[in-house]
Formats: sequence, C-alpha cells, structure tokens
Amino acid sequence: MNDGYQVLSLDDLDRLTSTDGTLTLLPLRRTVGFRPFGVNAWLGARAGDHVIERHHERDGDEELYVVVRGRATFTLGDETFDAPEGTLVHATPGTLREAIAADDDTVVLAVGAKPGKPWQPAAWEDFFVAFAHRAAGRTDEARALVADTLARHPGTWQGPYNAACFEALEGDDDAAFAQLRVAYERAPALIAEYAPADGDLVRLQSDPRWRELFG
Amino acid sequence: MTHLHIDELDRIQLDDGFEWRPIRRRFDIRAFGVNAYAPGASGRVVEEHSESELGHQEIYLVLRGRARFTVDGNDHELGPGELVFVRHPLLRRGAVALSDDTVVLALGGKPGAAHEPSAWEAMFAAVPAARAGRWDEAIRIHEEALAEQPGSAPLLYNLACMESRGRRPLDAILHLQQAVARDAKWAEYAARDTDFEPIRAEPGFPA
Repeated sequence: MNDGYQVLSLDDLDRLTSTDGTLTLLPLRRTVGFRPFGVNAWLGARAGDHVIERHHERDGDEELYVVVRGRATFTLGDETFDAPEGTLVHATPGTLREAIAADDDTVVLAVGAKPGKPWQPAAWEDFFVAFAHRAAGRTDEARALVADTLARHPGTWQGPYNAACFEALEGDDDAAFAQLRVAYERAPALIAEYAPADGDLVRLQSDPRWRELFG
Repeated sequence: MTHLHIDELDRIQLDDGFEWRPIRRRFDIRAFGVNAYAPGASGRVVEEHSESELGHQEIYLVLRGRARFTVDGNDHELGPGELVFVRHPLLRRGAVALSDDTVVLALGGKPGAAHEPSAWEAMFAAVPAARAGRWDEAIRIHEEALAEQPGSAPLLYNLACMESRGRRPLDAILHLQQAVARDAKWAEYAARDTDFEPIRAEPGFPA
C-alpha cells in the first residue's frame, strides 16, 4: 500500500446511523478523501429500511444511484420501480427520489455533484458524522465537529439548520432557535418545509418562538 | 430513460480488448465522470493507464465477478463491493477480469474543477461506426463533442482521422492543422497514424 492509492471494501467503512435510526451511511468519500465529487454508500440493513431518504436535491445536484448489493424499491418523481443489484438510477436536480430496501443488507452507492461547478465537500457529511458521535455519547467530539463544520461552510442554510437540530437534541433551545432563525433567513421556503417535518425539532414546536418564526 | 440495469447498457468492444459500457453518455450526466467496464477478448477489464493528462482521481468499484487490479506495480484481487481509490493521477493502474461476468464501475474527475466530459468518450462512442465504415456517423459524434468542448485538440485530431478515412480531405487537413496548432505532438502522432494515409500527400498535411 502507498499514499497514492487505497484498496478497501464497502464493508470496511464505518456504519453511521442517523439520529432517528432510519438511515445508515457508509462514508466512502470522507474516509478516502475523494475530492472531485460526492460519492457515498447507504445501507438498508433490513428489508423495509430506508436506504435513500426521500428528498429532491433542490440545490442543483445531479445524482446517480447504483444498487451494489441486494434490492431496493426506488421512487423517482411519479414512478416507483424495482431495482435489483446492478441497477443504475439517474436523478436530475429537483426530482423527488427515495429508496426502500427490498432485501436485507442492501447497499446503494450515491454519486452527486452540480453540473458546471467545481465540487466542494458538503456540510451534511460532517453533520452526519457529528450526529453519530452524539448518538454514541461522544458529545464533546460532536460539538467540536459541529462548530468546525459551521466555520467551514459560511453562508449556507444547511450549516445553521443542522446546528439547530443538534442544539435541539442537546436541549439548548435558545441556541437552537438562534441557528434556526439564521437558516430561515437564508432559505425561508426550504426551512418552512423541512422544519415542521423534522423529528429533531419536534420539541421546539410548542415553544412560542416557533410560531413567531413560522406563523 | 431514468433507470436501467448494467447489462442493458451499450457494450462497445474496444481494440485494447475490453468492453466499455457508457453510463455518463447514456444518461447525459454533466456533473461527474462515470462508466462501467467488462472484460473483452483479452480478459482486460480496465486498460493500463495513468491519469497524467487529465489529472483525475479515480475510484474503481467491482460490481460483479472478480478482477485483479495492478496499481503502481502492486496486485490486488477484488470482488463485489471492493474498490480501489487511486488518489495520485500519475500512478499506473489497470485490471484483468478473473471471471467472465465481471463488471467494474469507474468514477473519475479532477479535484477543484467543474466536470468536463473526457474527449476519449466520443472516440470510444464512435468506434462501432468507424469499424463499420459509417464515417458520417463517426464524424457527427466527434462534431457533437467538439461543440461542447470547442478547441479540444484530442477531439480535433480524432475528427481529422474520421474525416480522412471518410474521404473528406479538406476538412481532415483543417482539423489536423488546428490540433497541431494547439500541441505539436499531434503532428508526430499523425506522421505514423495509418488513418491519414489517404491525405498524407495533400498540401498542408502537417508532418
């Protein structure tokens, strides 16, 4: 082995589970330091698990999903279809996409970037790791990574939005609302759509400041 | 088409003995480089090469079968779900299949740069037409690629090859001259390239 290349199995990667337990990331890009564009794998350990979350990539990312192992039921726009091992799924920016594992131990590779723009590491990767640290009880490590990620992604809505989720889970409502306000100012329509459906923020909804922010 | 199986991709047998299954062109992906490869007559599944010209980082992921990768002189046998990430563009890399059903997914791009389709994709895509002597089709594939990457010397050179074989000597001379104007190495290549036999004696042939 040398510094110029690396050999590994997707099974060697960490398995990082989202706070609500619905998603498991195998952080390929971050682990090897691949820089040209985004590439990660997602695991559906049991049939019925989400393997790709329901989302749209409204910020302009074009994506290709590759079913590396197992079988998934994909939804792309209005279409739902069976995707056995070896299936390629292309999603243009803004198109609804989602995948549910149809077999146990399903692995889907996700590749993504914005056409015509140099790729930069997205904040969500580091936030996903930070939330996994928190779930494992490594709160200080998680908080340090949240702060570092916020500093490296100034001006985005994703940074303060994820920081708001983190603070809400930690029980610091003042800090959570401060971050949520910043995120809302940067992307009001998206935050107004995402926040009410986000399990991390449920507890905040009874706070008067929630009504003040979202009406 | 928004989804298909790797076995439904086009299968283009290349002279180097491996099979190219174009993914990026099939879906018209603009944001990143992605293709699949399978073994051809030689058993090779990834051509031996470096990325010194393009400066790409690459990931090769075995989707099916087994392959022996050789990277920087070191051998590694990989099965499904295993991958090699080649960080350094100058390292030579290649792979031979260890089973007939092997398929390898290749991802590549240049760090810090917006993705541009590689010129070789048009050249590979034109292989079936060129092999069948359908020169107008081979020329059209290169012209379409050039429209997206005006001034690409590799594309100009290969367009000139197709035009020479397709009996369009004036176009071939013009495009070969344009390639040479961008890099003199293309004149050296043209001097020994049999594609240019039909026009080698023409005025203005740059070699």
